[in-house]
Amino acid sequence: MTDETMRALTWHGEKDVRVSEVPRPEIVEPTDAIVEITATAICGSDLHLYNDRMPGMREGDVLGHEPMGEVVETGDQVENLEVGDRVVVPFTISCGSCWFCEEELYSLCDNSNPNAEMARKMMGQSPAGLFGYSHLLGGYAGGQAEFLRVPYADVGPIKIESDIPDEQVLFLSDVFPTGYMAAENADIEPEDTVAVWGCGPVGQFAVQSAQMMGANQVIAIDRVPERLEMAGEHGDAETINYEHADVYDQLMSMTGGRGPDRCIDAVGTEAHGTGLDGVSDRVKEGAKLQDDRPYVLREAIKCCRKGGTLSVPGVYLGRANVPFGPLMNKALTVKTGQTHMQRYLDPLLGKIEEGEIDPSFIISHQVGLEDGPEMYQTFNDKEDDCIKVVMTP
Amino acid sequence: MSEHSFDSAVEDVPNSMHPGASAEPNRSRWKRAGTVALGGALVVFGLRRRSLGGTVLALVGGALSYRTLSDYLTDAGEMEPVERSITIDKPADELSDLARDPESLARIVGHFADVSAVGDDRYRWSAGGPLARELSWEMEIAADESGERLRWETVDDESIGALFDSWSLSFDPAPGDRGTTVTLEVRFDPPGGTAGSAAAERLDVVPESLVGTALDRFKSLAETGTVPTTEHRPSARGRGDLL
Ligand SMILES: [Zn+2]
Ligand SMILES: [Zn+2]
Repeated sequence: MTDETMRALTWHGEKDVRVSEVPRPEIVEPTDAIVEITATAICGSDLHLYNDRMPGMREGDVLGHEPMGEVVETGDQVENLEVGDRVVVPFTISCGSCWFCEEELYSLCDNSNPNAEMARKMMGQSPAGLFGYSHLLGGYAGGQAEFLRVPYADVGPIKIESDIPDEQVLFLSDVFPTGYMAAENADIEPEDTVAVWGCGPVGQFAVQSAQMMGANQVIAIDRVPERLEMAGEHGDAETINYEHADVYDQLMSMTGGRGPDRCIDAVGTEAHGTGLDGVSDRVKEGAKLQDDRPYVLREAIKCCRKGGTLSVPGVYLGRANVPFGPLMNKALTVKTGQTHMQRYLDPLLGKIEEGEIDPSFIISHQVGLEDGPEMYQTFNDKEDDCIKVVMTP
Repeated sequence: MSEHSFDSAVEDVPNSMHPGASAEPNRSRWKRAGTVALGGALVVFGLRRRSLGGTVLALVGGALSYRTLSDYLTDAGEMEPVERSITIDKPADELSDLARDPESLARIVGHFADVSAVGDDRYRWSAGGPLARELSWEMEIAADESGERLRWETVDDESIGALFDSWSLSFDPAPGDRGTTVTLEVRFDPPGGTAGSAAAERLDVVPESLVGTALDRFKSLAETGTVPTTEHRPSARGRGDLL
């Protein structure tokens, strides 16, 4: 290790994450800052990369999009940050100047993906660039490293002025705002029943946010007992273990046959199916175009109350075979998207500082960067009650 | 794997976009490049930092196909122009000034070319990388209707090999508060014409990508003052995109 290099977690193909010595990032544009990382998390969506389901990864790419740390260098044009500032870095990269940023649709930023052409070819238009999440979405080096280059440094990072510990604010980088936006997108009204599929970190925060927004009843659905317990204990949710019960039957009996008014898919493409659906999707995956596995979407469309809302914070990457007929005939509203992070940073930091929520309850493992590769495996296999891994480089 | 191994990177695939493509000699020579099916082999040409448009297209697997230069050749042996539009949140005159400023222009086309001013309204373009010696040409402003249209044309006698013979921008007001619709039309005219010179054979040109990326860079420069980049990015491959 020299002054010129640093340690980072790098991607080398399916289930192959390594600790590598890589060059240290440097200021490239005058609007950049360099942050020395003090805490960085592994995200459920990193498992899409781990399982090699995201197009546009290259061997050796630095992973990670949930970092925080201390500003150690700023470009000439950076005004909001100074060396020594403690910051949380949101996972979406936004320019702050385009039409979308001005409309507070930050994850749709027009300018932050240098590889917009590739994304445009796949999706029609390119969303914002993300840290450590494939060349399709920018090719930016990620934050599971000792240092991170942060473009548009005046727009993204949020300064933490109090001495509140890293563990309590780190999840402003993604999962807390993502769960919160998921609940906001669900348009919750006071008498509503909200069903949340997936009790990983995003699901946990969606459950708690739904409670904050005044839902009458929140139902959490997963198959991992510890995660369901957590949703019950911290989020005051009723729970359904889908390995032991039919989700549709359960939900109907809990809602008098109406179905939940608001359904949140906090799982996305990696959902484990138990029925035959799973088999046919796996077969299709052998074909050239990767298809997503939309079990949760299918189930949520089936269960949702007529005229209800389906909010999808779970990540999908390709095409999904979803039952559009029921969606149409039941007049459901679908809301989705990567999180418009900058909209939520200030208000949610406020909630943490006021003690309304302590996001550190989701942490199950705290390790050093060198344990990263092993932690990816543990997290992927849902072993050792692993729900959220935080690493200190 | 060589720096410009376009030919070897291209699979011999049926031309799905032009099923009726004829096999006349000119065309078939070019067809060797064919419509590019972006499979694994194209990693070769897609990832160099400065290629003539193929940059970054390579990683997304077999799902995409692009038209290459030869696909723009009409049966009459002429090149169809390539046209793309983008909406930029700035007034037209500001954009028109930016587009003709040599330093800004150099950044806008920096993904495939170097540009410098050689006289009033006259610019020297050269292909980035090792092809610079074989592909270098001068363009001058042939039409400048302030804030509406700006057109460069290649000056033949000052060119070793030109990649295109015109580069035209038009500026139209976008609806509401969205700024200006900018349309870029490029008439490609690669050296050696349809027969294909050595340089043209090795060209790594995906015209729509070259033009689309130029517009993206123009927009970013106008709206943010910078062009987004991952140059010098650290990875286990080393520093930057060339590795
Ligand atoms: Zn995340
Ligand atoms: Zn933006």
